[in-house]
Amino acid sequence: MRNRFPGSMIGVAIAAVAIGVVVSVSVTGTSAQAPAQALKTPWGEPDLQGIWTDETTTPLQRAPRYASQEFFTEEQRAELDKQRSELLGRNKRVERGTELDVAGAYNAEFVSVKRTGARTSMVVDPPNGRMPPRTPEADKIMAADREFRLALLQSTETCKNKSVACNGGKYDPKPSARRTELPPRYNTARMNRFDGPEDGALPDRCLTLGLPEFGANAGSFRRIVQTPGGISIFYDVGQGQGWQRNIIMDGRPHLPANIRQWYGDSRGRWEGNTLVIDVTNFSPKTDFQGSRENLHLVERWTRTGPDTLAYEVTIEDPTVWTRAWATKQDFTLQNGKENRIYYEPRCNEGNYGLPGLMRGARTEERAFADGQGPHPATKDIATDFVGVEDNPFE
Amino acid sequence: MRGRFLLSMIVVAIFAAAIGAVVTMSVTQTPVQAQAAQPAAIDGKANFSGIWQANNEANWDLEAHAARPAAVTQQGAYPYDYARVPAAPVLALGAAGAVPGSLGVVQGDGQIPYKPEALAIKQQNAANWIDRDPELKCYLPGTPRAMYLPHPFQITQSTNKVHLAFAYSNTARTIHLDQVEGPPDNTWMGHSVGRWEGDTLVVDVTNFNDRAWFDRAGNFHSDALHLTERFTLKSPDVIWYEVTIEDPNVYTRPWTIAMPLYRRAEPNMQLLEFRCNEFAEEFMYGNLRKEQLVKRWEGETMTIDITRKVPPGDAFYEYYSK
Repeated sequence: MRNRFPGSMIGVAIAAVAIGVVVSVSVTGTSAQAPAQALKTPWGEPDLQGIWTDETTTPLQRAPRYASQEFFTEEQRAELDKQRSELLGRNKRVERGTELDVAGAYNAEFVSVKRTGARTSMVVDPPNGRMPPRTPEADKIMAADREFRLALLQSTETCKNKSVACNGGKYDPKPSARRTELPPRYNTARMNRFDGPEDGALPDRCLTLGLPEFGANAGSFRRIVQTPGGISIFYDVGQGQGWQRNIIMDGRPHLPANIRQWYGDSRGRWEGNTLVIDVTNFSPKTDFQGSRENLHLVERWTRTGPDTLAYEVTIEDPTVWTRAWATKQDFTLQNGKENRIYYEPRCNEGNYGLPGLMRGARTEERAFADGQGPHPATKDIATDFVGVEDNPFE
Repeated sequence: MRGRFLLSMIVVAIFAAAIGAVVTMSVTQTPVQAQAAQPAAIDGKANFSGIWQANNEANWDLEAHAARPAAVTQQGAYPYDYARVPAAPVLALGAAGAVPGSLGVVQGDGQIPYKPEALAIKQQNAANWIDRDPELKCYLPGTPRAMYLPHPFQITQSTNKVHLAFAYSNTARTIHLDQVEGPPDNTWMGHSVGRWEGDTLVVDVTNFNDRAWFDRAGNFHSDALHLTERFTLKSPDVIWYEVTIEDPNVYTRPWTIAMPLYRRAEPNMQLLEFRCNEFAEEFMYGNLRKEQLVKRWEGETMTIDITRKVPPGDAFYEYYSK
């Protein structure tokens, strides 16, 4: 998952500190056991309040080598922790002065590492821990999108060197004619062109992605505040970005279909001690694993103990996946007095990255036109991380 | 010259605001039931939970002012201040671009007690509204401006926290009724610590930066800002909201604003997103496109040509940090 790095390394640092302090707290692992009766608000609703985070890292999908194994053994976790902590702070570089070295500037030096989680994957259904197959139509759309991005990369060193970012494409010194085309559908990810803001990834534009919120490199925090019949959740997703949702709890229907939102429309209800939230009305500008306006989520939030909360999501989009699928995470309560949550998203207020990327592109075009520089299509401004890091989960 | 290229941007911003309001109003589906009934008290204290909005002109100008033709004006046929006409950036909006008059919300003599050098900055701010007002860039509104923007906000009141969620740009405030550590850095929205005086919620707000404004008239503060807010429920649907504003860098003495906040009583009311950084993208970054996108507008009585420009050198970065 592409993350946003300009601006707030503070967010990462704080997350790292918080995580460092609490790493020893163990995750309860499995499921909604009978919650203690005391975990109710004064007005009698289940009490989900506080700052919550997943203190461990679990990959979304299970590596095929674990087959149907749902939980790591202690030995496997220890081994993964060892391999992953060896990456921590490793300043792996490729040949200095190359584009790839610059693109890898945000390597493991900058990334905090949390302990390996109990589960082999967040995906718990299908039982193989992997997303279900995509529909043929969705495959076609994804392929067309990929083909377009590869065309924009074809004249770069990235393709010349057969870097993984060019997988499926081939090197051609002649810039693609597709550089003047629109992408096959509304762009949400970085591409090797910056004609205008829409060529940037949504995080470049401070249009942070929303639900389902699974946390990127540094994880994410959510503060829940409740009132009788009302719930507000504020998400700190790192890098100075965050967003909020206010859950409608009175049983009224979803918004009309013509109202689409970045964070969808959340309708909640209590099922016993579980908060069940139905989320629809997503904007076609959002993208979760290829799913856009037809994404339908059912979240289940269950307080499982004084410091633990189980978070389960059922994910459905018949235009993208051949069946619904489900994930599960365990959140741990954070110290409320320390209050280490970044509840002031101010990405837009310090976004020098986006104008800088566009100004850079204009400068390169002018240099090329004046015979002072290479064709802009031969430079790769879209790729980062590639070839620099290893992922022991894979 | 500077004014002209931005004309359509203002149109966009104001239309966006108008559409926001229309969208809210047009959700007239029959609700299953009214908004969840709220108890009068939480933990024995007045309950402010619900969706609220100011209904006044404070976001235009905190101080008492007569209506004026636009937020940006130029000299008219007469050389008098009272006879100015709209300037190019807002001309096409006609009367919809005018600033409504108000008796103001500043208590006492109605004037903000600026130090002389600060008053000069306020006047420059007003003259350069389009380049400087953070609202046009969809920057965070700051406190107290968030409370009287022309957008609703939601209060979720618990026993230890009072959370405020604003429709405008995903802005949030958490008022801590319990003990917490402050933020590691200065902030736009401030760090809010509340206490009860009877049924009045009194909130101390500190840790501000110097970037937010109070209104579209250029009223401003420094990072020494300290607010004392008082929330009092006047009736089930009206909060009396009072703020004492202290900032020795900018004002000669503390001053106070006060206004009612009204409950959005529509039974199907909910906060809808107003993610305006997307709406402000053309305004802020359109000058950096490979090919200019918003160039020309033709009506029956007016043609507007937009010329974008990129500020040179350091001014490029200064623009984004203003």
